[in-house]
Amino acid sequence: MNSFEQINIGDTLGPLELFVSKDQCRAYARTMGMGEGAGRFTDDEAARKEGLPGMIIPGNMSLGLVSKLVTDWIGSSNAWLTRMSTTYRVPVQPDRTVTIHGFITNKNPEDRTAEIDVWMENEESERLVTGTATVEFRK
Amino acid sequence: MSTILDLHTHSEASEDSRAPVEAYLNWIKLRQAERPVDGIVLTEHRQFNRDADYRRLEDKFGTLVLRASEVETTYGHMLVFGVNDDMVARFDFADVRLDAQTLIDEVARMGGIVVPCHPGRPNIGLYEHYQSRPPLENVVAVEALNGGSRKGEDERSAELIAKHGFAATGGSDSHLVSLIGLCATKFSAYIKTIDDLVRELKTGNYEPVDFRPRRKTVPHAVAMETR
Repeated sequence: MNSFEQINIGDTLGPLELFVSKDQCRAYARTMGMGEGAGRFTDDEAARKEGLPGMIIPGNMSLGLVSKLVTDWIGSSNAWLTRMSTTYRVPVQPDRTVTIHGFITNKNPEDRTAEIDVWMENEESERLVTGTATVEFRK
Repeated sequence: MSTILDLHTHSEASEDSRAPVEAYLNWIKLRQAERPVDGIVLTEHRQFNRDADYRRLEDKFGTLVLRASEVETTYGHMLVFGVNDDMVARFDFADVRLDAQTLIDEVARMGGIVVPCHPGRPNIGLYEHYQSRPPLENVVAVEALNGGSRKGEDERSAELIAKHGFAATGGSDSHLVSLIGLCATKFSAYIKTIDDLVRELKTGNYEPVDFRPRRKTVPHAVAMETR
């Protein structure tokens, strides 16, 4: 990643293409203590009983995936992710490819921050999760 | 001289958007070749931002900024153009169950126009309401293209338009800076004020325009590492 001075409004982050398996989704739910009473994250049939199309990825997991785009972009540079907000528009299903996109939309020289739009799309270009992030650059 | 306007946008004045108006205008300037819009209409959720003044930004970026509102009715969400003091006094824009027919008729009487938005969207779109209830009267136009539509939603809107003969608009429904101007409306007339816009919306002399990129399907993706 570049320094604050080198980045520009309009610069892209990604796209980051990911395939999240059902097993990975189950592992996340287990690790986060979502096992009992959270069948929607671990079992297709339980999810369908709730009116969902099948297993879905936990919101926090989606948040992590979207954040990954930003933290990968930051890499080892002298900056950090200070804020991330997300809106969950459509349930995210595992065993599918998702693509995460980002754009730098604003720069504030006073506090050396950059505002970034991020979103996760499915293979049909539907935006599943949208959000904004703030990255602060140290001098 | 024609005018292309994004008729459906949300700035940080809406609770679910963090997009500053200035950032929208800067993005339009950056992306002018792909999304040649001449202006935007801010349609904040359940409110009318009466006192906002964007003239400095309009001058800075050379882009028109008009104000309207997106309200919630018994037939789904609708855009209200030409909001004035009479309408604000007559309706509680924060009410999520405004009577749709009363809103359409009264806004027209007070000099404005109501355009149902994302009509093909489940629960909050006109299409679904029309499946079980009588159609509304005096609807001139509906939003045919919405930048936030999922697969099938714009198609349902098109079906509704074909059946009822509505005029058709487009708007990005942007809540993020980088999504501004993805869908818009091309008017055959020159529009400079909200009165111009209301007048033209009543004529039907416009068409929705789609600037959404056509993406290729991802052939394969990197498996996420599990740690």
